[in-house]
Formats: sequence, C-alpha cells, structure tokens
Amino acid sequence: MILRTPPPRKRRAGSVADHESPVSDRRLVLYDDPVPVSVPVSSVDPPPDQMVCTYHCRQMVKSEFIVALDTAQKQVHGYQSQVETLKTELHEIEDERKKCQDRLRYLEQELEASKGREHALQERLIKEVNDSQERYQLQIKRCCELEVQLKKEVDSCKTSESSAASAKERATDLEEKLQRLSESSEREKNRLQRELSHCQDESKLSVSRKTADLERMRLKAENLEEESELLKKQLKEIREQLDECRHQKSALECKLSTIPTPSESTPSEDKNLVKHLREELQNYEAEVQEARRLKSCHMNNELLKEKLLEEKGRREKAEMELSQLREAQLNAQNLELELMSWKSLLKEIPDVTSCDDIPKKIAGLQKEAIESMIKVGEISAHLKELEVSLELAELSKQHAEKESALAKEKAENSALEVKRLELMLCSVTEERDRLNKDVIVLNKQKTAHADSRMMDETLVKDLESSLALREHTIKELESNLHEQREVINRQHDEMKLLNEKLSFEARRIKSLEREGDRLRSEIALLESKVLRMVNTLAVDNETKQTIEALQSELKKTQAKLQAVEELKGQSDAGNVIDVDISEKLAQLKGQIAILEKREERYKAVFAERISVFRRACCSLFGYKIVMDDQQRPNGIPVTRFTLQSIYAQSDDEKLEFEYESGNTNILVNDYSSQPEISHQIIVALAIEAELSLQLYQCNSYALPVY
Amino acid sequence: MLLTQDEGVKSFIASLTSQLSEWLEAGKLQRVVLVIMSKATSEVLERWNFNIETDAEVVEKGVSREKSDKEIMREIQAIMRQIASCITYLPCLEEPCVFDVLAYTDKDVAVPFAWIESDAKLIQNPQMVRLHSFDTKIHKVDTLVSYKNDEWDEQ
Repeated sequence: MILRTPPPRKRRAGSVADHESPVSDRRLVLYDDPVPVSVPVSSVDPPPDQMVCTYHCRQMVKSEFIVALDTAQKQVHGYQSQVETLKTELHEIEDERKKCQDRLRYLEQELEASKGREHALQERLIKEVNDSQERYQLQIKRCCELEVQLKKEVDSCKTSESSAASAKERATDLEEKLQRLSESSEREKNRLQRELSHCQDESKLSVSRKTADLERMRLKAENLEEESELLKKQLKEIREQLDECRHQKSALECKLSTIPTPSESTPSEDKNLVKHLREELQNYEAEVQEARRLKSCHMNNELLKEKLLEEKGRREKAEMELSQLREAQLNAQNLELELMSWKSLLKEIPDVTSCDDIPKKIAGLQKEAIESMIKVGEISAHLKELEVSLELAELSKQHAEKESALAKEKAENSALEVKRLELMLCSVTEERDRLNKDVIVLNKQKTAHADSRMMDETLVKDLESSLALREHTIKELESNLHEQREVINRQHDEMKLLNEKLSFEARRIKSLEREGDRLRSEIALLESKVLRMVNTLAVDNETKQTIEALQSELKKTQAKLQAVEELKGQSDAGNVIDVDISEKLAQLKGQIAILEKREERYKAVFAERISVFRRACCSLFGYKIVMDDQQRPNGIPVTRFTLQSIYAQSDDEKLEFEYESGNTNILVNDYSSQPEISHQIIVALAIEAELSLQLYQCNSYALPVY
Repeated sequence: MLLTQDEGVKSFIASLTSQLSEWLEAGKLQRVVLVIMSKATSEVLERWNFNIETDAEVVEKGVSREKSDKEIMREIQAIMRQIASCITYLPCLEEPCVFDVLAYTDKDVAVPFAWIESDAKLIQNPQMVRLHSFDTKIHKVDTLVSYKNDEWDEQ
C-alpha cells in the first residue's frame, strides 16, 4: 500500500511516543471532519475551537495515532504473543490439568480400587477371622469334647485297670480255689464214692448177715434157754439122784464093809447086784456125761449170749455207720451240688468246657488283660500327646486370636486411612473444580484481554500456585498411595502368614481328627469285636471234600438218631425208657457239634496260617511255591510243586518238581529245557549229589565198626 | 454299575448278607467295613466304613417306626451316586486286589460258624472323606471312605 502520507520516523515505541509526542500519550483523540461545503455559510455556526486543526496537525495526530496504533498493535502483538504464550501455557496447563485429571481419575480409580480391595480384604479378613474364630470355636468345642472323652476314657481306663486288677486277683483266687476245690472235691468224691459203695455193700451184707445171725442166734438162744432150763431141771434131778446114789453108795459100802465076804453065798445075786450096780453106774455115768454135756451146752449158751451181745454191739455200730453213711451221702450230695454249681460257673465262662480249659482260659484272660493294659498304656500315651497337642493348639489359637485382633486393628487403621484419602480426594476434587472455574474465568477473561494484563499475571500466579498445590497434593497422594501399597503388601504378607498358619492348623485339625477317628476306632474295637468270614473264595478241594464227608456223616448219624427215636416211640408204654441212652445221645450230639465247630475253626486257622506262611516264604526267599496234589494214571498220588520267581517276567518262567515218598524230581518244561537253565540245574544237581555223598561218607566214618 | 456273575462270589455275598441281616435284626451289628487290599502284599488300600446306629427302643420294646420305602431308596440312591463319583479323587488301583468284609458286633455275640475274629485292618495316615448318610428310623447308616495317601497328593 502506498501511503499518502510519509511514513513516520522510526522512533522507539515507548520513549519517543512518551517524550516527543506529547499528544501521543496513548490516548485516542477524536477527530471530527470539517463542516461540509454544501452547507450554507450563513446557516453554519462557526466550528468549535477545541476541534480546529490543520492538515499538519491532522497528519501529526494521524502519525501519532498511527504510532499509537503501532504501539498498540505491538502491544496487541505482545499481548497476543503473551496471550498465545498464555494460551500455550493454558494449553499446557490444560494438558497438565487433563493429565492431572486423568491422574486424579486414575488415582481415584486406584483409590476406589484400593478401597474396593481394602474393602474386599477387610471383608475377606473379617470372613477369615470369623471363619477362623468359628473354626477355633469348633476346635475348642472338639477339644472340650475330646477332653471330656479323654476324661471318660481315662476314667474308663482306670476303672478297667482296677476291674482288670481285681478280676485278675479274683481270677487267680478263683483259679487256686477252683484247683484246690476241684482236686479236693475229686478226691473226696472218689473216696466217698468208694466208701459209699463199700459201706453200702458192707452194710447191706452185714445187715443181712447180722439180721440172719440175729434171728438164728435168737432162735438158738431161745432153744438153748429152753434146753438149758430143761437141762437145769434134769441136772437138779440128776444131782439129787447122784446124791441119793452117793448116799446109797456110801450106805452100800458101809454095808459091804460090815457084811462079811460070802464066797459061797449066792454068786448069782452078787452078779445081779453087780450088774445092777454096773447098770446104775453106767446110768449114772451117762447122766454125768449128760450133765457134763449140759454144762458144756450151758457154757456154749453163755458164749452165745456173749456173742449175741457182741453182735448187738456190732449192730449198733452198723446202725451208727449207717447214720454216718447217711451223713456222708448228704455231704456227697452237697459236694455234688457244689460241683454242679462250679460246673455251671464253668459253663458260664465262655470257651470253657472242662476244668482243664480253665487254666488256658485264665492264661488267655491274662493275655487279654496284658494286651488291654498295653493298649491302655498306649492310649494314655496318645492321650498325653493329644493333651500336649491340645495345649499347643490352644496356644496357637490364642496367638491367632491376637493376630486376628491385630489384623482387625490394621483393617480399622486402613479404613481410617481410606477415609482420610477420601477426604483428601474430596479436597483434591474441590481444588479441581476450583481450577476448572479458574480456567473458565481465564477463558472468559481472554476475550477482554487488553485491560487485564495484571489479572492474567495474577491468574497465572494463581494457576502456578494451584499447580504447585496440586503437585504437592499429588505427591502427597502418591506418597499415601505408596504407604498404602506398603501397608497392603504388609497385610498381604500377614495374610499369607495367617493363611499358612490356618493351613497348618487345618492340617493339625485333620491329624487330630484322624487321631480321634483312630481312637474312636480303637474304642470301638475295645467295645466290640471284629469278625470276618473265613469261607473265602479260594476254598481248597480237600476242605470241600472233608466238609462234604462230615456233612454226609452228620446226615447218617441224624438218620440213625431218628431211627432210634422212632424205635423208642414205637416201644410199648409199659416198657421202661432208657433215659441214659437219650442223655448220651444228646451229649454225643453236642460233642459232635462242638467237634465240628472246632474242626472248621482249625481248618480256617490252618488255611490262614498256611497262606501267611506261603506269603512270608515268597517275600523272604523271592520264590513263589505252589503245591498241587495230583494222581498218576496208575493211581499213585503225587505232589507237584511249582517254583516261580517273583521277578519272573512271564508265567512260563517256572520250575516244576514232583515229590513222591521222600524223593523230589525236577520235571521238564520249556523253561527248564533252556540251555542256561538246564546247565544251572545240572550244576545244582551235581552240588546236591556231592553234598549227599560227603554226608554219607561222614556218617559212615562216624559209625563205629563192630 | 457292574454285578458279578461268579458263583463263588455270589455265594460268599449271599451267606455274608444273611448273617449281617440276622445281626441287624438282633441289634448286635455296629458297623460293616469293606476292605480292599493288594493281592500281592495284603496292604489295605481302601476302607469303606458303614457305621450303623440302631434304635435300642425298637429292638428291645418292638416299637414300630415307619418311613416310606421311596424316601429310603432315594437316600440310598444318593449315596450310591456319591460312591460312584468318588472315582474322581480316589487313587487308581494299578495292581490286582482282593476284598474282604469285616463286621463289628457286640462283645457278647457268639462267633458263628465260618466266621473268626480279626484285626481291624486299618490304614496308616489315611485320607478320609465322609459321604451322606441314610436313616430308616430304625437304623442310621453313616458312610466314610478312607484311602491310602497317594504320593502325588502328598507332594
């Protein structure tokens, strides 16, 4: 553009304008155009004095105005640049604000997230604390229950110990008493039975004899008494006759002595006299003999009387002995009753059928008592261990409670921290709002920029200060966040420790539960007995055959019994039923049942023992031995053994042996016919042969030669 | 679910169940245990424990308690489903095994023919899992399976 007026001299914008152009004091002077020519002169008033200026003034003013304009433009430029810088700063501030807002939002989010996490952690902590409390309460309850059970078990153990001791003492006393009583009762019984039988027989015999003798003697005595009386009478008569004869004899002798001897007198009369006298003498001699005989009879009678008295004494003795017999019979009955009572006691004792079983039963009871004592000792040791573990669990529980209280406090502190952070957030959001308002005000003031340089400066200063504050708050927030993170990390670590402790406690609880279950199972074992069926699937043919044979025998005996019972039933009503046979039959049946049960038990125990032995041999020697009874075509029974290593890779890797009447021979099969195995077999056979030869030689050298 | 056709096993189970039912009716049976053992080493690998609580009043006084068969069968079916699902956590049995049945009875029970006293065949340090129980109002049966700790589970 070509300027109509010369360009103004280049002066310094500020000073020239200030000093050389007093007019240009940066005030715009209003310029009014001159009055227009068309306007009649007469009608126009003369122009005011204040606004009259020449072209030069106008130019000067214009120049000054232009200068002012330029300066203003420069100022505007400057302000614009300042505004731009402020804008850029604003942009930067806005960017920073946005960043801060984003940061704030991020921080808010993080805060919310941390709050959420803390809340979740709190809830989790609270849950875990509640769970742990519940678990500890349960544990405490279980511990209390276990303690109660422990006490009960201890009491039961004590009572069982005391009862076992008392039972043991009683058992020993009873055993001794039983033995003594049984022996004495047996002896007494035998003796008494013998005596009884003997006495009975004797008494019967003696009684019968005595009665017969008594009768005889009585009759004899009566007869003899009658005879004696008769004889006495006869004696008297004879004595009288004797006396008379003696008198007559003496008289005759006197007569004879006085009378001379007539040799030639009548000899016939003498002969008759002598005959008569001889006859009388003979009669008298016969009478004397009769008297002597009577006397002997009398003596015999007296002897018989004495014998009678003796027999009476014996009879009284026999009656006394009979009464004693009755007493002995009563004693025997009492002893039999006692024996029956002891037998009934024996029957009450399980697994005891006779006196011989009592010591075994007592030995078994003693073993059971010892085993129960051992179990009681073990249980008491376990109880002590449980008590120790209970104490440890209580200590750990207290520790965990303390830790849970600490964790609660920490949670409360973290909640307080969260609240504080929230308050800080609120303050930060308020500041943010304030800053937003300031920014809005800035934007508003931007339009009226020319008059508000100071305000911009103040605004900038405020913005800077707010920025600094916000940075400070952001730093504080970051430090708080860092602290919170550290706190959270510490809480995480504590939570991990607590979780580890909880898992440890859970494992301890499981172990305690297992111990409790094991103790309960042991208690159940003590209170109950464990039975299992022996009739396993692998029943040997032999046992089957024996079972079948026994069953057939049973059926036969049962058929026989039925036949006997039918015969009994078919017999007449007047026939005497043999009670002993039925009793014997019942006894035999019971014995058969007992024996059968014993046999089955023995078989089962034997089969189990054999299987245990086989397994032990297999595990110890590393070889499995299978025994099988077979029969050759010629009917000879043969036992076959199969030897297989436990490390055999197939079923074919086995050696077969045949045992017959003390000789063992190896059988040929695919495995033994392999060259390596056959070589080893040959070597083994050779070694065996050498050993047997050496043994034979040793024995032959050892035997003395006669 | 498989059922055996082996006559020997069937006869074994039949005689077993007849004796168990006799004891149950008398109220003398306390628990039934199924034991699974290794055939080679006789080591107990699994132990299925069925604990039985009998109502003494029913046994002694003959008091009758009624519960529908449908409900009892439903409870038993639930237990059988649980037993079938136990395969998920029970260790695998990789060797030939044998089974045996133990009966826990009162001390005063006479040992019947073909039965003998035995040990409890317990597992050392077992893992135990308790299953559901069922109740017939006369007998209450609790089920528990204990098995040998697998090496992997211990690790």
